[in-house]
Amino acid sequence: MTFLDKMQPGQSGKVVGFTDDNRVSRRLLELGVIPGRAIQYIRNAPLNDPMEIQVGHCCLSLRHAEASLITIELDE
Amino acid sequence: MHQATIDKTAKQKVVAICGNPNCGKTTIFNYITGLNQQVGNYPGVTVEKISGKFSHPSLPNQSIQLIDIPGTYSLSAFTPDEFIAASVLFGNFTKMDKPDVIIAIIDATNLERSLYFLLQVQQTGIPVVVGLNMSDLAAKKKIKIDRKKLSELLGGMPVVDLIGNRGIGVDELKEEAVHLLNSDLRTVDKYYSHETENAVEELIQLNPHEDRSRAHLLRIIFDAGGPAEEQFLQIEGEAGEKLLAEIRKKIIKEHSYLTHAETSVLTKKSEEIFNQVITKPDVADKTNTEKVDRYLLHPVLGPIILFGLMYFVFQSIFSWAEPFMGIIEQFFGMIASSVEGMMAEGPLRSLLTDGVIGGVGGVLVFIPQIVILFFFIAILEDSGYMPRAAFLVDRMFRWCGLSGKSFIPMLSSFACAIPGIMATRTIEDKKLRFITIMVAPLMTCSARLPVYAIMIAAFVPYKSYFGIANLQGLTLTLLYLLGIVVAVIVSFILKKTIFKTERGTFLMEMPSYKVPTAKSVLIRVYNRVKHFVVRAGTVIMAITIIIWALSYYPHQDGEALTAERTEEINQTIALSEMNIDKEFNSLTTAFSEAQIAEVSRLASAFTAVTSQEQLSSIADSMISLYPAYNEVISLYKSHEFTKLEASQALNNLPNEVAGTQIRSSYLGKAGKTIEPFFEPLGWDWKITVSVLASFPAREVIIAVLGTIYNLGSDIDEESTSLIDQMRQATWEDGEKAGMKVFSIPVAISIMVFFALCCQCGATLVTIKQETKHWGYPIGVFVYMTTLAYLGSFAAYQILTSVGL
Repeated sequence: MTFLDKMQPGQSGKVVGFTDDNRVSRRLLELGVIPGRAIQYIRNAPLNDPMEIQVGHCCLSLRHAEASLITIELDE
Repeated sequence: MHQATIDKTAKQKVVAICGNPNCGKTTIFNYITGLNQQVGNYPGVTVEKISGKFSHPSLPNQSIQLIDIPGTYSLSAFTPDEFIAASVLFGNFTKMDKPDVIIAIIDATNLERSLYFLLQVQQTGIPVVVGLNMSDLAAKKKIKIDRKKLSELLGGMPVVDLIGNRGIGVDELKEEAVHLLNSDLRTVDKYYSHETENAVEELIQLNPHEDRSRAHLLRIIFDAGGPAEEQFLQIEGEAGEKLLAEIRKKIIKEHSYLTHAETSVLTKKSEEIFNQVITKPDVADKTNTEKVDRYLLHPVLGPIILFGLMYFVFQSIFSWAEPFMGIIEQFFGMIASSVEGMMAEGPLRSLLTDGVIGGVGGVLVFIPQIVILFFFIAILEDSGYMPRAAFLVDRMFRWCGLSGKSFIPMLSSFACAIPGIMATRTIEDKKLRFITIMVAPLMTCSARLPVYAIMIAAFVPYKSYFGIANLQGLTLTLLYLLGIVVAVIVSFILKKTIFKTERGTFLMEMPSYKVPTAKSVLIRVYNRVKHFVVRAGTVIMAITIIIWALSYYPHQDGEALTAERTEEINQTIALSEMNIDKEFNSLTTAFSEAQIAEVSRLASAFTAVTSQEQLSSIADSMISLYPAYNEVISLYKSHEFTKLEASQALNNLPNEVAGTQIRSSYLGKAGKTIEPFFEPLGWDWKITVSVLASFPAREVIIAVLGTIYNLGSDIDEESTSLIDQMRQATWEDGEKAGMKVFSIPVAISIMVFFALCCQCGATLVTIKQETKHWGYPIGVFVYMTTLAYLGSFAAYQILTSVGL
């Protein structure tokens, strides 16, 4: 298990859960970052932050600080 | 249309249209209502409310009100924007009727997430019609949705397939909505956990008289620290606070986190529904969006394209608008001259031609540029590029205290700071939001554009480089950059001093690219232009008339002034004639007759002289040839000089009289008094007055300059454009008398002032409304005005010292 911000662009995995319950994790859930779903780290913005991820058919952008809330199981 | 026959006794039916951001909601709204729209604010708050009307054959004497609710991902609310969206649906919003029917627009390509929102909407109990939008895109992605099954699982909600950008399915959607208008509230499935259902029951028991919908009660329970809780505590006081703490404690005991009691139920339920209605390919196909983003979000190419795009937009504003502006200018010129022909001279004619037509017409000339600017902004917004722009610049913005989220309000501020400031509501972090509000007015709004346009057209040479870049477009781009750079510096200072920010968030959806629909783009351009024209017709017209009156009264009779001055000039000539006769005799007593004849012959050469320079050079060469006649020739020279000046003064008399009239007006006197304060900026009193008059609204400067220069110019002369009049303007007195007022440094100094100054009453009022405190607008006004004065002082002094 790892954290989303520790992944490399191009890697994919599964959402496991959140390390905290706050507005950010709540918003992430509403945006479709739901435990069990496939998640892919697409790219970084210029200067490496924020990052773009894909969950389901939906692409989201978030900062690495927020990504550190999300626990991930990497695909083999 | 049926206004006269509307049955006043029946309550107007209200339909609300809601959905996630980027689901194509507004396009559908535009299809249903057409141009029958009103943009206003929700009562008491400043979130923009767009409502429209439509009618249906089954309700012949009634129009139905359709309200566009701000896009939101969920009914849980933490920002003011979200809370309004939610409370309108709850029917909890004061002064607004509870909707009779809700139309929920859903992105078919993103069904699972939309279901989460839909389930929350279902809890309101209001009948819902589901519009499954972008069904063509879903089909392309091989996503199949079982509509019947979906409707069944959602308790019988009608589900309609939509292709919003082509208007397909909109009629059916309308049909279903009208069909539901007379149905009752639904009973709602209670699938929340046992503890939650108990909590809802306890809250109802606490105050049974308060009409709160189930959806509303859920917000009070789950959004800890949110606006719903705040409102609840205000009404229920301590008893409410105690009860709320108690029930939350029970929920947390069972679910370990408060919000999980809701999110886990809703995600599970939406997953369940989703799996039953959808068939889709397992492999996520590489979409066009992904292919395009490979370039548009490329770490190097991305920013280059972004800035190239901005540059292209500003270039086009200049080059494309040109011919259309010419046509409008000619049109107002024609009106002015025909009014002039029809009316006798007097205050009314002056008011119409110099005040109203010269002023308002001068502002309306900029319609083509406004159209082009909003055309591009609408395309960028509708295509889905804006969030990408935010993504690209987030890191660059962050060090100075802003975020990529501030970028969108700031980009909107390029159109107008007011929607820009309102758009900051999506920023959750309060300090970040206030910083953004305080620097948003520095973005170059469309009201500055006319000022830049006229100054650049008049004083920056049209030079083209490599066929694409020209000096005028470059100047404009630099002015836009000036606003941005200063905004960055100011927010950095704010971040370090008043608003010490913590780290904000940057959670945002990157929607798929869409081809903007012509209809949606045109409606937005139309609304914006309408707004601009109405402003020109009201605020700007009023200020123009006031300025006209101040510069016309107290009125001095032009004919009397002319006669007086003609008399004065003739007297000067007569005096000089007398003088020359006397002096000539005393100087030539020792001369022989031949000498006198020779001197007279020489003097006759002066009569053909037309300018002072010519006179001096002829006199100089005569003196060097005939040194003995030095004194006599000098005498003739000074006499001719006086005559020459007098005839020039007579020629220029109409202008001089007009100048005297305006200088002796109230405005002129006031302007002359404060002129010294603005002289270091290179401004004469006319510019000073025009700039001061434009503090309520920037565009006014064009109107005022038009009025002042029309009044201060020869009325008989064929009316020349404002640009020509500015180019010809000269200093009236002081050490620069006779020199041209406008030069490149002066034009730049004016533009820099406008770039940095907060000359917009409406913006200041909006800031007050958004921040709920007068301190912020006052702060903005003071810092921007100070910066503007210092900036144009520096620009003028530096540019003149390098010899421009």
